[in-house]
Amino acid sequence: MTRAAAIAARELASYFRQPAGWIIIALYLFLAGLIFSTVILIPGRVASLRAFFELSGWLLLPVAPAISMRLIAEELRTGTIESLVTTPITSLGLVLGKYAAACLFLLAMLLPTLAYPAVLWAFSDPKPDPGPVMAGYLCLFLLGMLYLAIGTLASTLTNNGTLAFLITLFAILALMFAGIASVYVPDAFAPFFHAIWITPRITDFARGVIDTSHVAVFILTSAWLLCLAAAAMEVRRWR
Amino acid sequence: MIRVEQVKKSFGAVQAVRDVSFELAPGQVTGLLGPNGAGKSTTIRMIVGFFMPDEGRVLIDGIDTLANASAARSRIGYLPESAPLYPEMKVAEYLDFRGRLFCMPRTSRVAAIEKVIDRCRLGEMRRRRLAHLSKGYRQRVGLAAALLHDPPVLVLDEPTNGLDPGQIRETRELIRELSADKTTLVSSHILPEVEALCGRVIVIAGGKVRADGAIEELGRSAGERAVYVVQARLSRTNDEERFLKIMHNLPFVGEVSRAPEGRREGEWVEWCIWPKPGAPDLREAIATGATNAGFLLRELRSQSPSLERLFHSLVEQSTPAGGGAAA
Repeated sequence: MTRAAAIAARELASYFRQPAGWIIIALYLFLAGLIFSTVILIPGRVASLRAFFELSGWLLLPVAPAISMRLIAEELRTGTIESLVTTPITSLGLVLGKYAAACLFLLAMLLPTLAYPAVLWAFSDPKPDPGPVMAGYLCLFLLGMLYLAIGTLASTLTNNGTLAFLITLFAILALMFAGIASVYVPDAFAPFFHAIWITPRITDFARGVIDTSHVAVFILTSAWLLCLAAAAMEVRRWR
Repeated sequence: MIRVEQVKKSFGAVQAVRDVSFELAPGQVTGLLGPNGAGKSTTIRMIVGFFMPDEGRVLIDGIDTLANASAARSRIGYLPESAPLYPEMKVAEYLDFRGRLFCMPRTSRVAAIEKVIDRCRLGEMRRRRLAHLSKGYRQRVGLAAALLHDPPVLVLDEPTNGLDPGQIRETRELIRELSADKTTLVSSHILPEVEALCGRVIVIAGGKVRADGAIEELGRSAGERAVYVVQARLSRTNDEERFLKIMHNLPFVGEVSRAPEGRREGEWVEWCIWPKPGAPDLREAIATGATNAGFLLRELRSQSPSLERLFHSLVEQSTPAGGGAAA
């Protein structure tokens, strides 16, 4: 765990030392601010962040792959992976460390958006229901975790960051449109497509419903993807 | 101690390493030599755990790199070729990160960082970003990182790559100093470096060990002989022919020729004299023969076969048998 923490600390610091990290945060806050000011902050409307959370899946679409694209692909490209994986750290420890850093960066990125419920709380009457706000933030974080897990796996598969970005982007789009695609696939596959469809789960969270099955799906899928990423790293030793 | 047992590694159809075995004891610097694509980098990468062998095994201090990978890797200090580093980090910060990867407690980590910074002469650079360092300093940071946790096994891939002559000398001295109580394996393309640094040489070509031993031993096994280098004064026009004839007539003398890279300074000419197999020391006979014939000598020395000659003769002997090998 100490080794994974060392990896996480180094990776997190590197986000803030490079312009890319700040550009990602700026991009996200710009998009989030745009939604807040144009869709939510409308005089005479009931104070609710529901639209913001419902659109969160789209909001994170360009941002999460940008956070995760360089996690391992950059190490592979520059060759630093060689001095990293020849230390006593395990492949799982390496992947978890990298992933933890990405999740912490995501948290740091989400933190300023707490200003939106604070503004609603201060200026609207009646005040917004705190339940859906908390559920919405939980959704945002779980969704981010899932996207970042996809991105971490993609990053282990190539030494090209752009390719990792695109793989992640298309994988997320596939999860968002799986329900629509289910209409066009044989009936036997339709339940699978419905199961991986994340849009209804986001809508439930945005309504303030914390369904444990949704939470479990996000967490277990992320964990499974991270195990695959660790396996992909281990396979590199055996290739 | 490093023990490599019948290790094999293939990349697709290419057999990079075939049946490589050797054992390295502490207190010795061993050089790993081979042409490009010989399989030496793959061998090194299997030793440090970057690759796992398809067959065979590698033991580090008696620990199998497959059965107990983390424990084996914790005993190795590895400097990869060209020492890739994180450009945004500072020198001391990077070393601290490396120390944490080896689970060094904070107090010993701080002390170890100071020690390696001092040993690798990085004091002035400790607060510099790695991106702003010259190639030589980056190489030294890589070496410092390899030494940080005081490993019993050191594996250094081209350790003097990018260093200036003064730094090369310092690094060689440092490696020699460290090797007293460590098992050290050095891979290098620079033959004089291996000659100067290593007591033992392993030559890999075509994925196989072609030679293994001290340089003198390798010379004997490869049929290379010591050569006598003579500087004689040739003042008259037919002196060259006369000198050649006298030397040829000496017992046990095989071949005599002008030294290939020998200098001619005025009347002084450098010659190489190769003895026949089984010849005794010919220095007295050469000196007596030359002076009796009226030649003045100002240098006469016996020169062991150079590693470069040995290397080329060994690599030429080992024509690749199908497939090929990776770098």
